[in-house]
Amino acid sequence: MTGAPAPITPIVLRSVSQRFGRKVVLRGVDLELRAGSITGLVGANGAGKTTLFLILAGLLQPDGGERRFGGREVGDVDLELRARLAFVAHAPQLYPGLSARANLELFAELRRAAGLSSRPADDVLRGLGLPVDALDRPVSTFSRGMAQRVALARAVAGDPELLLLDEPFTALDARGRSQLAGALLAERDRGAAILLSSHDQGTLLRVCDRLVLLEAGAIVREVERGGDDPAAFAVRAAAVLDAVGPDDHAA
Amino acid sequence: MLHLAPVRLLRQSLLLLRSELRQELRDLELVLTSTFFTLVVLGMFYLSFAALEKKHTLPAVPGLLWLTVAFVGTITLTRAFDREREADTLRALLAAPVERLAIYVAKAGSTLLVLLVCCALLVPGLASMFPAGQVFWDMPLETAALVVLGCLGYVAIGTLFAAGLAGGGGKNMLLAVILYPVTTPVLMFALVTTRALLDNNPNLPSYLGQMAALDVILLGVGALLFEPVLVGSAPARSAAAAQRAARAGARRQESP
Repeated sequence: MTGAPAPITPIVLRSVSQRFGRKVVLRGVDLELRAGSITGLVGANGAGKTTLFLILAGLLQPDGGERRFGGREVGDVDLELRARLAFVAHAPQLYPGLSARANLELFAELRRAAGLSSRPADDVLRGLGLPVDALDRPVSTFSRGMAQRVALARAVAGDPELLLLDEPFTALDARGRSQLAGALLAERDRGAAILLSSHDQGTLLRVCDRLVLLEAGAIVREVERGGDDPAAFAVRAAAVLDAVGPDDHAA
Repeated sequence: MLHLAPVRLLRQSLLLLRSELRQELRDLELVLTSTFFTLVVLGMFYLSFAALEKKHTLPAVPGLLWLTVAFVGTITLTRAFDREREADTLRALLAAPVERLAIYVAKAGSTLLVLLVCCALLVPGLASMFPAGQVFWDMPLETAALVVLGCLGYVAIGTLFAAGLAGGGGKNMLLAVILYPVTTPVLMFALVTTRALLDNNPNLPSYLGQMAALDVILLGVGALLFEPVLVGSAPARSAAAAQRAARAGARRQESP
């Protein structure tokens, strides 16, 4: 009889580099994502954030460096690992002709076909504040914020150990941002490792345990929330966010 | 606990194929575009060649059949992956715990079905319009085998390249440029076999067998390369990096 599988956390990147043609996008990135922790990834547009997400999600093979999941170096992010991570990209990546429920059920059925579990679509969607009467409408009729909630619901339905969120607050109103922040904190408390990039400074300061500044493909600064003085973290984190520049954040 | 890979592949392929068909049934976009195009082409062929004698249309019918399949196939593959590109859903599937081969099987399967729907109009149309095509009525099983094998080979290789362009952000117009050269072998095979069918060639089963063998090879190539084409391959990258390092080392040794 075999026990529960070994956790995939911590997820560690060592000296990860990536270039597209002549353009170097990532230069020797070192990053560690721990269970039960939210890491905020900030940086100007074009700093390499999305490329880093793609490498972690297994959608891009890095040119160099190591990817370690739970202490094991991995070449390809195989199905077994993908079963335990979820990626929400900048675009909601939903089938526009299908309803919110059908979109979630498709991915839930695909999980079940692989022998994996998934939370009921309705529960997850309602948990993220999607109106009940919207569940059976085609996603093409949704506002961007509503579609983003469906994408998030799809991501958390499988209780992932690693949650990758590239600009998840885009197009969400204040209430939506607050609901999402609450959902992220719940995922963190469940034990998920979360990597989050956002232009929403307030929410980043509220939910992140650590902030990492990516500049021209390299991590140049890192601040961590200490248990001792929350105000000190806020000051140091604000300095990191300021380094990105207000224009880029507003973009 | 994860199911065994073959079980996962079968179940997920069926689920994705069902999803493809469900989306197609909502607006019939691919079927309507492709069948309308087929009917227009048939009408044009009729106006151009109907007055010719049978001996002159005999060599033309195979070309008319597979030329239409090639054009309809390009339209179908382009649009099928345009949908994924517009909503970026291919990436969602690639990041999910889905056998990537299942995505290939479902896309190829749905494209094949659209092509077969068009052939269900095209073949009887050619048989009715041209006396040379009468053989299609006389030998329905052989005709069906020919059409299925020809379309399968086209779809096997076409899906791979269409996915590669959709995943890599390539331009749609490139698909036609790339697709026609790479599908030429399967189209030539189909052309020769169709001629054998029309000529009542006794070696027809052998021709069909060769088409089936080519299909198996093309499906194998498509299945093997689908994942590396879309997300790259770690061993291949490592090998390339090792080669680069070796070349750099050799250059350093050569330099004074």
